[in-house]
Amino acid sequence: MQIPLETAISLYRTMLVSRGFDERCAELLARGEPVPHFHSGVGQEALMVGAVAPLRPDDQILYTHRGYGHLLAKGVPLHEIALDTFMKSGGTNEGFGGVMHVNRLDLGVPGREGVFGTRFGIAAGLALACQRRALDQVVVCFYGEAAGARGALYEAMNMAVLWRLPLVFVAENNGWSFSSRTEWLFPEGRMSRVWRGFEIPVEVIDGNDLEAVYGEISTAVERARSGQGPSVVEGLTYRVDPHIWWDDAAYQPTPEIEQWRASDPVARTRERLLATGASVERVAATERDAEEVVADAFARVAAAVDADWPTASLHR
Amino acid sequence: MNDTKLMTSRQALTAVLADELAASTDTMFLGETVRGLGAAGVASGLYDRFGPEQVIETPVSENAIFGAVLGLAIAGMRPIVEIYSADFLLAVANEVVNDIAKWRHQQTRPEQLAITIRGCMGANGGLGPEHSQSMEPYLHHAPGLTIVVPGTPADCAGLLRAAIRSPDPVIVLEHRRVYELEGEVRQDPDFVVGIGEAEIVRSGGDITIVAWGWMRHEAELAADELASRGISAELIDPRTIRPMDWDAIRHSVGKTGRLLVVEESPITGSVAGEIITRVVEEAGHPVPRVARVVMADVIHPYSATMEAEILPGADDVVAAATRLC
Repeated sequence: MQIPLETAISLYRTMLVSRGFDERCAELLARGEPVPHFHSGVGQEALMVGAVAPLRPDDQILYTHRGYGHLLAKGVPLHEIALDTFMKSGGTNEGFGGVMHVNRLDLGVPGREGVFGTRFGIAAGLALACQRRALDQVVVCFYGEAAGARGALYEAMNMAVLWRLPLVFVAENNGWSFSSRTEWLFPEGRMSRVWRGFEIPVEVIDGNDLEAVYGEISTAVERARSGQGPSVVEGLTYRVDPHIWWDDAAYQPTPEIEQWRASDPVARTRERLLATGASVERVAATERDAEEVVADAFARVAAAVDADWPTASLHR
Repeated sequence: MNDTKLMTSRQALTAVLADELAASTDTMFLGETVRGLGAAGVASGLYDRFGPEQVIETPVSENAIFGAVLGLAIAGMRPIVEIYSADFLLAVANEVVNDIAKWRHQQTRPEQLAITIRGCMGANGGLGPEHSQSMEPYLHHAPGLTIVVPGTPADCAGLLRAAIRSPDPVIVLEHRRVYELEGEVRQDPDFVVGIGEAEIVRSGGDITIVAWGWMRHEAELAADELASRGISAELIDPRTIRPMDWDAIRHSVGKTGRLLVVEESPITGSVAGEIITRVVEEAGHPVPRVARVVMADVIHPYSATMEAEILPGADDVVAAATRLC
């Protein structure tokens, strides 16, 4: 599905902002500076951004811990994500949830669970509320290999099919669950294989192809919006960076990483833009613009005060 | 309106659910078998009256149900979820403790997260160790949860309504032996029992007895017997386990100098331990004399006869109170 040029440029910009934030955080870590709870999404930008792009502002997402493209694409400003990351005041949760609990209910980002897996039930509940209120909103629930192995997904999938909930499940198959290969955790290394039995649309796509992601999710979202129930889209992508800052990722073969770098979604999107009519100048301007957004976010972090923790009991 | 009506606790609970479902279509009731009677008969008639829009029969999928309840509440609805037996809250401890209890503290704190979790608990004659436990000791440790344990029909009505109308997640634990108790219940459609407000069941000057749920009734029997022996017991039913009405207990113990806590729970990690510790920590001199009547660290046997031997009863309360006085 060809994306309208202006939309594609906007998505490219969001992918660049996501990439820029990850790279800047990685630089800080390399210098020995802390970046609490940081999980790089490098290499997965097309899936994150392309899957949120077809949504309306009043649609809702449940996002993963890896990468910040979902949040950015849903409209959360990078500087709020950055302020939350560094436990500064002015983000979305004032140090109580850090980058793990970025939330903007007004933008369709209600928040995230503490232990991966609850999100499937939460997504079902949000979708049930939409259905009960006769709203034509859709909920998109992203998940990785870890959450996707938890029982709540099987329970929520059953409910979603049973009640024809306006839900889209997006499996982010990035090859690894920390140091475990996806092949060791799911039959045929495919996170979506089991859902074929529900007789709902289950599609496996190239998650590094922005147009493929955008097109497949658009179809799933429209299906959900029109009352036809849930779908599953599994995007195949790759976690290029280590799981988390203290992980040396020695288990990840270098040739494998290099092979995936060759299908880097940012580079592919850039090429596609140039091939479909964007001028070199326009692309370069978009790249400068994204750099400025990242620089601005870190400038705001530097100028911000630490979030102020109340010392009183959280509860009476 | 101060009209009252003689009702069982079960009837009172059902009536409040019906009132609150009728009051707002944002209020929903979810659970297993709720299209029929639900776990303890409390759901009776609700599906027929309110239909599948408000009464949601769920698969036996507690993790997703409790996640969905959180999702509904985030969306601004007021879900009431029935757990088939409160023991099964352990199966959803992750959703309850790690997500529902913490949600408003780690996200931007929406003004309401109006979740009511209710279900039956407690020993009732040989249901076995995974369908008989008191669940408040497991749950009262978690900041962010409100827990109520009504012991009478009136408190069932007043606390359930308060829970449903509360902006906070509230767990209502209904002792199985309380369902069949009869009592006068106010018919005022806005009748609530304040969360965190203890009831002074009877006044006395010699010893403070704290008991809730079914144990409140064992303690009442004991207080009668103690009175006949010349010991004047003040019986406090806290009704809310968290937040506990510390003022009521502190005030009473300040007067009596003695505190006995009765709880249908194994001794280790009991709520009684917390109550006594707080009272002793905060007391001046002389330090009050304290004791608890609880269960040994045992599991409930499937044999009803054996079960009766491990449960605290009025005789145990009388004996412990007599030793303290």
